[in-house]
Amino acid sequence: MPSTQTPPIAGGAIDPPSLRPPIADARIERVDAARLRARLEELHAQGWTMLLDLGAADYPLRAPRFDVVYHLLKLSPAARTVAEVGTPERLRLLCGVEAGDARLPTTTDLWPSANWAEREVFDLFGIVFDGHPDLRRIQMPHTWEGHPLRKDYPLRGPARERSPRPAFALKSNVQAGVPPSGDTLAALQEQRKKS
Amino acid sequence: MEVGPGKFLLARVDEVARWAQSSSVWPLTMGLACCAIEMMSVTDPQFDIARLGSEVFRSSPRQADLMIVSGRVAQKMAPIIKRIYDQMAEPKWVISMGACASSGGVFDNYAIVQGVDTVIPVDVYVPGCPPTPDGLLHGITLIQQHIREGGRGGILARS
Repeated sequence: MPSTQTPPIAGGAIDPPSLRPPIADARIERVDAARLRARLEELHAQGWTMLLDLGAADYPLRAPRFDVVYHLLKLSPAARTVAEVGTPERLRLLCGVEAGDARLPTTTDLWPSANWAEREVFDLFGIVFDGHPDLRRIQMPHTWEGHPLRKDYPLRGPARERSPRPAFALKSNVQAGVPPSGDTLAALQEQRKKS
Repeated sequence: MEVGPGKFLLARVDEVARWAQSSSVWPLTMGLACCAIEMMSVTDPQFDIARLGSEVFRSSPRQADLMIVSGRVAQKMAPIIKRIYDQMAEPKWVISMGACASSGGVFDNYAIVQGVDTVIPVDVYVPGCPPTPDGLLHGITLIQQHIREGGRGGILARS
């Protein structure tokens, strides 16, 4: 799976969402950023009453860079018995957002649950939602600089990016000249014996 | 302490006072994450922290003696922990419970403070992820020994 630790597949040219197998209980749909608002209004009018979640993903070697993901749920209207409720329909809507102009229209007026979810996406990815009533950081401290879930953000934070990480006893470490001792030495000797 | 003639028990004031302090250490709930679950289980009848004197876990720092920092300390939470610690009255002690509170644990990242001892002074570190309730009880016992020997904290501490 693509991650920061392994080199991206085919130099990042492959679109990761298209690699994933289809989901049994949800339709996956991709929509353009320009068409997004209209499509969501259509869906809202059709009876998609719940926005379950709103998230984003960062694919740094792909254009558009970000994917904003909407999870919608359609409950059957006016169900009076358990049998009438049935199985709600689920929809996953993906929308590509460019790195340079990371803006999207807000959906808080359609689904109030988008309020904090959009704040989270803004906080962690830096995607601005136009028309949001209260767009500010929600998880990081309000004085924080930077958007931590972007792939180019240092994992350990900008302050500790270049400080040394704790050394563990591995064969490679021993070659680099960090000798283990005690229990870790015993574990290393066992590791050597097995190989 | 010694039994004097008749029905008198002779002892030094500071010994009795430290014995009293160590026998009723009231913890403050600073349950931040998963370690809090183990801290909760230390209050159940199987492990029973109440028999060591920690009869009640106080929510107010003004009424607590011991802050058990159990769980990951986020960057956002660090100034709050400092403030709560400052609001506790002397004598006060701190247990850093679990790997995350002691050193950042498995979370070597931007969001987690690498050890609560960068924010407040810690008396006892309890390792584990999470520590077993026995481990936390051992930590409480160490705090009690620490108090009885006149450790840091309070007017009866040896300087």
